[in-house]
Amino acid sequence: MTDRAAATFVARRLGVLGAVLAKPSGAFGVGIVALHLVLALFGPLFVPYDYAQQNVDTMMLAPSAEHWFGTDRLGRDVFTRTVLGGREAIVISTLATVIAMAWGGFLGIFLALVGGRIDEIIMRGVDAMLSLPWVLTVMIFVTALGTSSSVLVPVLGFSYGLAVIRIARSAALDFVARDFILAAQARGERRWTIVIRELLPNVRDALSVEAAMQWSWMILGFSSLSFLGFGVAPPTPDWGLMISDSRGLMAVAPWTVLWPMAALSTLVIGINLAADAFAKVLGVDRTRKVPGQ
Amino acid sequence: MISRQLFFAVSFAAIAAIASPAASQAESVLYRDYDLGDGASPSLDPISPNRFYQANDLIYSRLIRQDENGEPSPELATGWTANEAATEWTLALQEGVLFHDGSTFDAADVKYSFERINDPALESPVASVLSMIDHVEVVDDLTAKIVLTSPHAGLVVLLMDYRVRMIPEGSGDTIGENANGTGPFKMDTYDPEGRTILVANEAYWEGRPKLDRIELIAIPDTEARIQALLAGQLDTTSVSRDQVLLFDGSEDFVLQNYPTGDWFGIIFRTDTPPFDDPRVRKAVRVAVDRNAMIKLMVGEGNGTITCDHPVMSNDPYWAEIDCSQNIEEAKRLLAEAGYPDGIEFDLYTSDLEPGMVRYAEVYQQQVAAAGITANVKIAPSDGYWEDIWMVEPVSMTSWSQRVADQILNEAYRSTSSWNESYFANSKFDEYLDLARSSLDFDESKAYYGKAQELLFEEGGSFIAFFENGVRAVSRHVTGLPAVPEDYIRWHLVAKDAE
Amino acid sequence: MIRLILQRLGAAGVTLIIICIMVFAAVEVMPGDACTAFLGRDAKGTILEKCQLERGLDRPALERFGEWAGGMIQGDLGMSMNRNKPIEDIVGWRLRNTVILAATATLFGVPIALLLGVIAGLRRDRPVDLILSSIAIFSMTIPEFVSATFLILIFSITLGWTSGVVTASYNAPALDLVASTALPTAALSLILIAHILRMVRSSVIDVMESDFVLMARLKGVPFRQIVWRHVLPNSLLPTINVIGLTIAWLLGGMVVVETVFNYPGLGRLAVDAVSDRDLPLIQTIAIILGSVYILTNLAADLVSLLLNPKLRTYRT
Repeated sequence: MTDRAAATFVARRLGVLGAVLAKPSGAFGVGIVALHLVLALFGPLFVPYDYAQQNVDTMMLAPSAEHWFGTDRLGRDVFTRTVLGGREAIVISTLATVIAMAWGGFLGIFLALVGGRIDEIIMRGVDAMLSLPWVLTVMIFVTALGTSSSVLVPVLGFSYGLAVIRIARSAALDFVARDFILAAQARGERRWTIVIRELLPNVRDALSVEAAMQWSWMILGFSSLSFLGFGVAPPTPDWGLMISDSRGLMAVAPWTVLWPMAALSTLVIGINLAADAFAKVLGVDRTRKVPGQ
Repeated sequence: MISRQLFFAVSFAAIAAIASPAASQAESVLYRDYDLGDGASPSLDPISPNRFYQANDLIYSRLIRQDENGEPSPELATGWTANEAATEWTLALQEGVLFHDGSTFDAADVKYSFERINDPALESPVASVLSMIDHVEVVDDLTAKIVLTSPHAGLVVLLMDYRVRMIPEGSGDTIGENANGTGPFKMDTYDPEGRTILVANEAYWEGRPKLDRIELIAIPDTEARIQALLAGQLDTTSVSRDQVLLFDGSEDFVLQNYPTGDWFGIIFRTDTPPFDDPRVRKAVRVAVDRNAMIKLMVGEGNGTITCDHPVMSNDPYWAEIDCSQNIEEAKRLLAEAGYPDGIEFDLYTSDLEPGMVRYAEVYQQQVAAAGITANVKIAPSDGYWEDIWMVEPVSMTSWSQRVADQILNEAYRSTSSWNESYFANSKFDEYLDLARSSLDFDESKAYYGKAQELLFEEGGSFIAFFENGVRAVSRHVTGLPAVPEDYIRWHLVAKDAE
Repeated sequence: MIRLILQRLGAAGVTLIIICIMVFAAVEVMPGDACTAFLGRDAKGTILEKCQLERGLDRPALERFGEWAGGMIQGDLGMSMNRNKPIEDIVGWRLRNTVILAATATLFGVPIALLLGVIAGLRRDRPVDLILSSIAIFSMTIPEFVSATFLILIFSITLGWTSGVVTASYNAPALDLVASTALPTAALSLILIAHILRMVRSSVIDVMESDFVLMARLKGVPFRQIVWRHVLPNSLLPTINVIGLTIAWLLGGMVVVETVFNYPGLGRLAVDAVSDRDLPLIQTIAIILGSVYILTNLAADLVSLLLNPKLRTYRT
């Protein structure tokens, strides 16, 4: 890539970002995500309390000037724990998204290219996995393999990658029949050269929007795993764990549940709004998205 | 706070106003929940490992039951005497008691029920409680003599176990499906995954029950249970500590708070380094402020401190020990054992019961000051008892109330299969034998006391407190005192018209 | 066309077989078996061996799978390991209950979702749209147990309009169940509405931006007429596809709602079956969920094939 090409590449990217920010929903979404990332990065520098310090005298206090979001069942500051509660989820879900996109994207494109028997057989397997409820699949994996993050990242990456296969495959199929690919094939170029030079840039937009969506589902998925008791180990604060821990308190001390929930929801909403805006700007059709995965 | 109470006062008033008295006035029916904890098709055999105890409590009677203070009181046995050596116990039986099928209860049924408990082919968990029974002799229709293999002064207390219930002679093969007891209620519809219905036993020997019917409704989720209660779909249910606040200022429900012998514990395997050193075991236990732990876990006044032994404070054999927090002592013990910089270990817990994960979290904070680092690991509740408990060096356990002799033998005797801390101490086993063989209460109490002290000094279990039981009961229900489940005399329970 | 359907059904059969093998392997890999799950702390020594002998768990895995598959082919689903009942007696009722719940949620949720989706799409980027879209994503992100608890707190406990959790037995008459499903239906519809609303909205936006709508607007066709004549038919037809998929996903995704409301359906049964390690029961549920997923997928594909002849030239 020459300097000039790099410059136009950057300019195009910046143009996309500008177009996204020009939309109210896009600006809103990008803003929320940015805020969450800043909080996660710099949170430890400014939180007012120790996230693990239990205190007999401050159990379940309502929000006040001292404790902005109140305190939880063990007297810990909910504001502190909410600010720090997304760190683990963001890191793990980001890593898992990369894995999901990588293997799902490549396999999907590959299947679109080779077609035939191999495509048939592998897609049947993917269908079989997809048809089982998500919770059940992950439950089976996690009970069999354990819950450390070195297990969670690949398991999440693998199971979310299944849905990516379908999307990458159909995005690639849209391009396979086009002239320039046929031309490349006619020139006698090798398949992998075609994939890397022609196909990848063309499905990149579809896949990057998909990556954002996967990321947001993954954050939700990770929190429901925490909710089921897998995932983060106490006393590390985590939204899913905080929600699950305090759900019995909802009628008496709603702040213990609502704040972490609001944090989780806003992050997912932000990612979704941003992804929708990017999709619109990049011209990616997202209407045929299957929910859940 | 005030507004919250107001909110709930309003909501409860709303229920009271709207709750429809749809049930016909003629029938008085009590609705209880049932948690499916013993599987989807629990057995009606009282000694089965997955007995349907909520139903069995109503269907079958024991020989001896607890009175409201937990003391032995007559049920089917009207009196009992032991010989000098405490090896033979003679029981006089209640006259004129009928089983639900109309047959008469007599000493042969007692003999049959006990021999079935100890039948090796059945492998009932109750056998470990009554293994000292050699055989039962039928003296006459209303007198039975229990002959023991070794002396046991506290046999009567063991007979109060909620599973030791009388069934008709020869019914063993069918009792699991066809319940037939002498209790106040008869099985009508067996549907453990939906509604199990029990109807009043008109011929109950203590008088006809005041209720016409009791319905047991399967609700596995704890939150769902409370919501069903608040919505008027249940008359009573047990309430977890966090849910107590829901009943602040309630007009429609009474909260009953009663001491129990239920406890969580942290088990340090005494056969695994570094916990094979008694000094380390004591250090990880004395570093805890048990009072603070009660406050954080269940709230002040809702638990009773115990010093790492499982005998509840209203048990006659309870020993008083001082176990206040001592960080310095913990550090000294660790240094002596060769760990001047403290120790680190993985502490396994699980979401098996509400509060079990939190217990580990609170413990973790408590011992941190003594240089003890406990990494809390939450294991899946599936398979916890197979893969974690008694496998990992440090894990959590949970026990329900048992009498002193039973719990000390079941959880700590070196030969017991549930000796979860792998505690092998011949002196401890000897104290238990001596305590059993003495008919003199003070003497046997002294031996049980020594056993408990030994657990505090050298044992591998950390037990901070016993948790009180809390039960919410509708105002319409009477005759249900604040006592543990198996003390309740169900034929006295009534429900007034709404 | 018929050949295509036959081909797809054949493929579906292969998928189901793969599901069975995968589920069997997965349950084998999981620690513990039906007996250790059943006996809990008592799972030791001879009592464990006896239990495994009774349930045939002492035999090699392949032999057990062969036997189960053989029975399955002859239409014999086998016995549940821990419930001592034939599988069809257990699953049949739960399937009916889940279908009842899914059907009421669909009948209630889909019209609302279509209406709101069209409104949001037509009023794109206006306040109405931003509010509706945000609420939709929000209700997709709040955990069901939170919305469920609030619903019960408000409508059952405070207002007393309807019963809270479901206390009807799994084999209660259908009407009794329908009567007590108001809140579970609401909780489920919330998610359903959120998903479909978003699909409809973007579909409406696409059509609104299409050339023929722009043409019509330039020609001065009244807005109302554009919406009724062009936008609605062209944007709603493709969403049929999505609605089908959403409903299929609902069948499997109702686990939490069923648990919170104590609803005796297939989702709750699936979780129980996994923790009981009740293999024949897990297999049956997996096959049912798999078939529903495959069939709705097939139906959705056929519908979009019928509606969009362009796709017929592509490989499916």
